Amino acid sequence: MFQLSLAIIVRRLAAAIPTLVLLSLVVFVVLRLLPVDPLAALLPPSATAEDARALRAQLGFDQPIPMQFLIWLWEAVRGNLGNSINFHQPVTSLIGAAMPATIELALVALAIALAISVPGGALAFVLHQRARETAADLTVTLLQSIPSFLWALLLIIVFGVLWPVLPFSGRVGQEVVLPGITGFALIDLLITGRLRDWSSALSHLLLPALSLALSFSPMVIRVLRSGLIDAAGEPYVEVARLRGLSETRILWRHMLKNAVLPTITMIGVQFGFLFSGALLVEMIFGFPGVGNLMVQAVKGNDMPLIQGIALLFCVLMLAINTVVDVLYALLNPRLRAP
Amino acid sequence: MMLSVTNLTLSAGEQAGAKAGAKAVAVLRDITLSVARGRVLGLVGESGAGKSMVGRLIAGHTPRGFAVTRGQVMFDGRDLLQLAAAERRKLLGRRIAFIPQEPLSSLNPVMTIGQTFDEHLMLLGVASGERAAAIVNHLAAVHLPRPEAMVRRYPHELSGGQCQRVLIAMAFASDPALLIADEPTTALDVVSQTHILALLKEQQRLHQTAVLLITHDLRLAAHVCDEIAVLYAGEQVERGAAREVLGQPCHPYTRALQAANPDVHGSQRQLPALAGQMPGISALSAIAGCRFFARCPQALAACGSEPQLLREVTTGHWVRCAPGCATNPAPVAGDDLQSAAWSAPVGDWNSPPLVELQEVTLSYTARWGAFGQRKLVSHAVNKLSLRIQPGEFVGIVGESGSGKSSIARLIVGAEAPTAGRINIAGRERIPGDATVARLSRECVQMIFQDPHSALNPRRSVYRLLTQAYELDHTAGSLARKTRPERGAELLADVGLPADALSRYPAQLSGGQKQRVNIGRALCVMPRLLVADEIVSGLDVSVQAQILNLLLELGRRANVALLLISHDLSVVRYLCSRVMVMQAGSIVEEGKTEEVFARPQHPYTQLLLRSVPPADPSIAWPPAPGQKP
Repeated sequence: MFQLSLAIIVRRLAAAIPTLVLLSLVVFVVLRLLPVDPLAALLPPSATAEDARALRAQLGFDQPIPMQFLIWLWEAVRGNLGNSINFHQPVTSLIGAAMPATIELALVALAIALAISVPGGALAFVLHQRARETAADLTVTLLQSIPSFLWALLLIIVFGVLWPVLPFSGRVGQEVVLPGITGFALIDLLITGRLRDWSSALSHLLLPALSLALSFSPMVIRVLRSGLIDAAGEPYVEVARLRGLSETRILWRHMLKNAVLPTITMIGVQFGFLFSGALLVEMIFGFPGVGNLMVQAVKGNDMPLIQGIALLFCVLMLAINTVVDVLYALLNPRLRAP
Repeated sequence: MMLSVTNLTLSAGEQAGAKAGAKAVAVLRDITLSVARGRVLGLVGESGAGKSMVGRLIAGHTPRGFAVTRGQVMFDGRDLLQLAAAERRKLLGRRIAFIPQEPLSSLNPVMTIGQTFDEHLMLLGVASGERAAAIVNHLAAVHLPRPEAMVRRYPHELSGGQCQRVLIAMAFASDPALLIADEPTTALDVVSQTHILALLKEQQRLHQTAVLLITHDLRLAAHVCDEIAVLYAGEQVERGAAREVLGQPCHPYTRALQAANPDVHGSQRQLPALAGQMPGISALSAIAGCRFFARCPQALAACGSEPQLLREVTTGHWVRCAPGCATNPAPVAGDDLQSAAWSAPVGDWNSPPLVELQEVTLSYTARWGAFGQRKLVSHAVNKLSLRIQPGEFVGIVGESGSGKSSIARLIVGAEAPTAGRINIAGRERIPGDATVARLSRECVQMIFQDPHSALNPRRSVYRLLTQAYELDHTAGSLARKTRPERGAELLADVGLPADALSRYPAQLSGGQKQRVNIGRALCVMPRLLVADEIVSGLDVSVQAQILNLLLELGRRANVALLLISHDLSVVRYLCSRVMVMQAGSIVEEGKTEEVFARPQHPYTQLLLRSVPPADPSIAWPPAPGQKP
């Protein structure tokens, strides 16, 4: 089992290197093609042409483009993504500070989405069996057509304004200072034993995570439902029934184990959806994550920062795919080595 | 009686969803049968006869849109039809056990054998501490090798025969009073079929279980069962002691079924094929009289207007037929052909071979490990040589995995050999050589196994038959005729009615689809047809039609045939020469009659022993104990 996971990880990593180089090239070229002068933001209005040339040379912008790419790539390999033009800080430390918040948000959103869609998928399947599908279908379609930012606004109105039970701004209450051990607020506050602050962090996470989860769940429900419908037609289900197993047991113990396989693949593919959703949701909730950072970088034409975030996005996607592959192999015995 | 079914009638269109005023159709009509403790009853019929439906009704699974309108299903003194669903479920798996048709897909693929078995024992109420040991005991009882290791394995790691053993072990774990086995060996190879049947008999005797064996194979049923009930279109046409029903069949359908089955030994005869096919559910309401009337060679005028009743012809032997027919067995349909000179096409041995394989090897390499550093090379075909003469009908027999389908793929060019030469009509086929590839396409055509999935459902019969015109209509044989001309010609060749050209596959029966499938392969006027298990999915009476069609085509068009089959009797009927394959090699080869009469290789002998003999007095299947 462990060996297999290791084999998949090694294989994935080997394949990831050329993918990363290629992707970083694409990111680099696209950003260089934009009609934006990154120097404009750095130079004071009184700067002379001489000043501009000096700064250009200092930042390496006088080199030919392929050379610029190689320099950037070499530095990136060494863990240096350059300095943010606007923040005057290393890109890595900016991303490093924002990243855990976004990952935390996405994972909590995923957990909520699963808690909604596993029973939801089973319910949709049961309704399908009883030929009462239209109502369920309509509900799912309706939910699917509401984007995450609309959920965010709805949730703020309901739980923040009309019935103010949950906070909807920031990552923690203003009085709380995060210890910054792992960067994940929920973990850090838990290991330092600050339970009151921990619940503050959790309550701040709930609304943004819920709005992401609500827009993500309909997709999961659909895939799970069709996975269950496929499983229902399999002989092992009929045989289980003939062995006298209850319908409940057949659904939860037999069919779900099989239906979850296509669902995992789908979640892996759509995880990027959670991240791009997080971008908007972070803006709305003033959540200090990568999404917010990205918006600021784009606003300020902050090339190094944009590149860094784009690269990070690629790395994340590759990592998620690896995790999904390992999970899939662990859950599907047919994929294990002969 | 452990199980007795009386006057069971299942109707369609009784429930919600049927149009108001729609007539209820009896899908099962007046079924009466019974099994005593320690006895085996065979429920025999072709697909669509309703035999599996009987099994489902006993389990309480009435399909949507159907309802039992009459009759009882008494099990151990209680009427199963009157029981509440929960009460009936308590009987399933405990007192009434089932053995399914497809063992490989009947076990949950993501659970180990041990997990599935453990769940079953838990439901049976075995204490958790005792379950592990019990599983090993139950698995050992069905002669599975190394049962301790078996519990950790997944279904896909087992063969079909091994999976069926696991399912049999689970079925007998509760010491059931009644066992319902629905085509338990249909999906298995002949050799494992014999082992599984022997095992079933052994366990049945040991536990004194009442068994209902559902099968399409009359001959197999006659050997395994004490009594047989024959079903046709939802009606029981004959019932009696197994040997008597097989030895002296009284109903014209039973006789036709028996006669349409080719033999593996004895004198050769042309198979009489019943015309047409069994009526489907939608056609039943239009039939007023005997449901077999339209196909019956001995039908009387009265048979068409009123249903026949079951009558006892001799003690315990019941037949649903007009009084004159059943008691007085007239010759079976087509019996007059029995004497007609008949032989499988031998082909032209003075010409150079049509297809020649020289020392051909086909191997697959599987790689795994983090860097693909571990590999496993398996030879599907191992240094194999063979030749096929023009006009010759050759058969290849062997179990699944013996490499027989790989040979078909090599000959049609779907697969390139790893080593060795393949000559088609005297020219070597080299990968990438377009001329030879085109030549061999015109020379060799394949008939695909499953007519249901081989035909594009969105194409009409005309466009299917003449599909080759879309590929290259200037090619030699195609240029001589226009597409509509060739379409009409092919339709007549394969014996389909003239109005079939504009129909779609969904409007055809299984036999008709297979005819289209054959006609399509004939379009370019090939010299060799490669047929991979083309009759294994068909019912016996339809199978006889297709076999006779192939013989006729061979004689008329001088086309050669390579028939790949697991069914020895079909190979004997069609092929003058046979090759026996095992593990990628030909282990025995020769004239079919000689090989089957005096098999030399132990594997050929084993294969022949696995065929249920036509004579019901010969003991079969052989006793168990042999390793699976």
